[in-house]
Amino acid sequence: MPAQILKVAPRPQPVTAAPLIRFAGVGLSFGRTEILRGIDLEIAAGEFVSVIGPSGCGKTTLLRLLAGLQKPSAGQVSMAGRPLRGPAPDIAVVFQDYANALLPWRTAAGNVALALEARGVPRPERAARIAELLQMVGLGAHAERFPAQMSGGMQQRLQIARCLAQDPSVLLMDEPFGALDAMTRHKLQDELRGIVRRTGVTAFFVTHDLEEAIYLGDRVIALAPHPGRIAHSFPVTLPPQRDQLSTREDPAFLALRRALFDFIQEASA
Amino acid sequence: MSARRHLAWGLASLLVLAMAIGLWSWIARAGLVSAVFLPGPERTWAAIVKGLQSGVLVQQTGQTLRRMVLGWGLASVLGIGAGAVIGLSARARVWVLPLLEGIRPLPASAVAPVAIVFLGLSEQMILVLIAFGALWPMLLTTAHGVASRPARLAEVSRCLGLSRTAYLRKIALPGALPDIFGGLRLGLTVALILAVVGEMITAQGGLGTRILLAARSFRAPDIFSGVVVLGLIGLASNAILSLAEAWLLRWRPR
Repeated sequence: MPAQILKVAPRPQPVTAAPLIRFAGVGLSFGRTEILRGIDLEIAAGEFVSVIGPSGCGKTTLLRLLAGLQKPSAGQVSMAGRPLRGPAPDIAVVFQDYANALLPWRTAAGNVALALEARGVPRPERAARIAELLQMVGLGAHAERFPAQMSGGMQQRLQIARCLAQDPSVLLMDEPFGALDAMTRHKLQDELRGIVRRTGVTAFFVTHDLEEAIYLGDRVIALAPHPGRIAHSFPVTLPPQRDQLSTREDPAFLALRRALFDFIQEASA
Repeated sequence: MSARRHLAWGLASLLVLAMAIGLWSWIARAGLVSAVFLPGPERTWAAIVKGLQSGVLVQQTGQTLRRMVLGWGLASVLGIGAGAVIGLSARARVWVLPLLEGIRPLPASAVAPVAIVFLGLSEQMILVLIAFGALWPMLLTTAHGVASRPARLAEVSRCLGLSRTAYLRKIALPGALPDIFGGLRLGLTVALILAVVGEMITAQGGLGTRILLAARSFRAPDIFSGVVVLGLIGLASNAILSLAEAWLLRWRPR
């Protein structure tokens, strides 16, 4: 199975021999309910993987396994050759519900500081790093605002900044832009892609928006439900430089969108 | 608009206060109640001025204030500490809370004789009495506040690699602060009541002792001056707490 995925997924960037992340025969059941079965998946360092599938197919659960928030009942998830035993500071998670994931009593700067405090970054070094990260997500002028004084898009930017403060090698995102309006979503997609390319972080992006999955990803993993399993792995053959208008009109984009759409129709039936 | 309304409401409350004092003055002057029991505002005010000039009232107020603050502080430390532990652990909630719920309704004044047996009619006894009574609101609100934090923040904490104590200090307790403030406020009222009760029982000085002794020798203006000062203490301490709350919870959406 992994070999097959590798074959259909030629990556645009040079890839090291060993994958950074490996799911080997991973399954998860709660009592009699089987959520995920036989997940074999390899992700290379620096790769941007999008995950789609009909609702209830276990997309979020797959992400939680990789985050170490959930333990598999079968198989193993490993990172850099070592089995994952729980949440690792090296793996950052952007949750969909940004309002619950931020500390409302801390300012934007304070929320970013939390990740630095957890890493034990000495106090004198924090301020400069915080300013840099807030600048990177476009919140440079809003360091002293509390989350309640920010729009949804700004709050999600802030959560991304806090995740980057962990200096992670893997960035997990669970429908991060699902609750935002279309304009904000497009803007954040471009910013996210830019950040991922600049930092070289490996991205694992769960979404229900097929176009978003293609636009952002180097590869799109499609999950089928009952129980959740990997049905397809579609390589994204678009040039790395993407644009909200021209990329979305690219024949390769449209062809892949059609393939994903057909898959979802079939899987939901 | 809002500021003008604020002002209007403030003026209205002052007007009501003035009317209440006027009514009090009229009842006293009309002789509806014997002057031995009910001094008018004028004689009460005179007693306050006399107490301030001689320094006795200042000293007594200081004693009561000190006890109230110390006992309340003791209760805060114990209540918030124990409440945090109970709030964090589902097991502690199941095992310990029923016991605490059983002790809580005990009137603190009924516990006073027990405290006297162990500590005598002493300063410590008053503080223990205050702490015992003021402990419960803080403990229960803290436990509730810590336990009802969104599960998401606990996951964020795990993902960031925060230690358990860091989680408690940086996430659980600040998140429970709105609830804790409710407990601090209730506890402060209880602390003032029990400071006075303790002073009446032990005769260790303070406003409680002043009122008790004045009552025994029918010095009504002295009683009333003590009561008025107690009312002012309650008003002022609540106002200070409200200011602290407004500042510490300024992050809340309005």
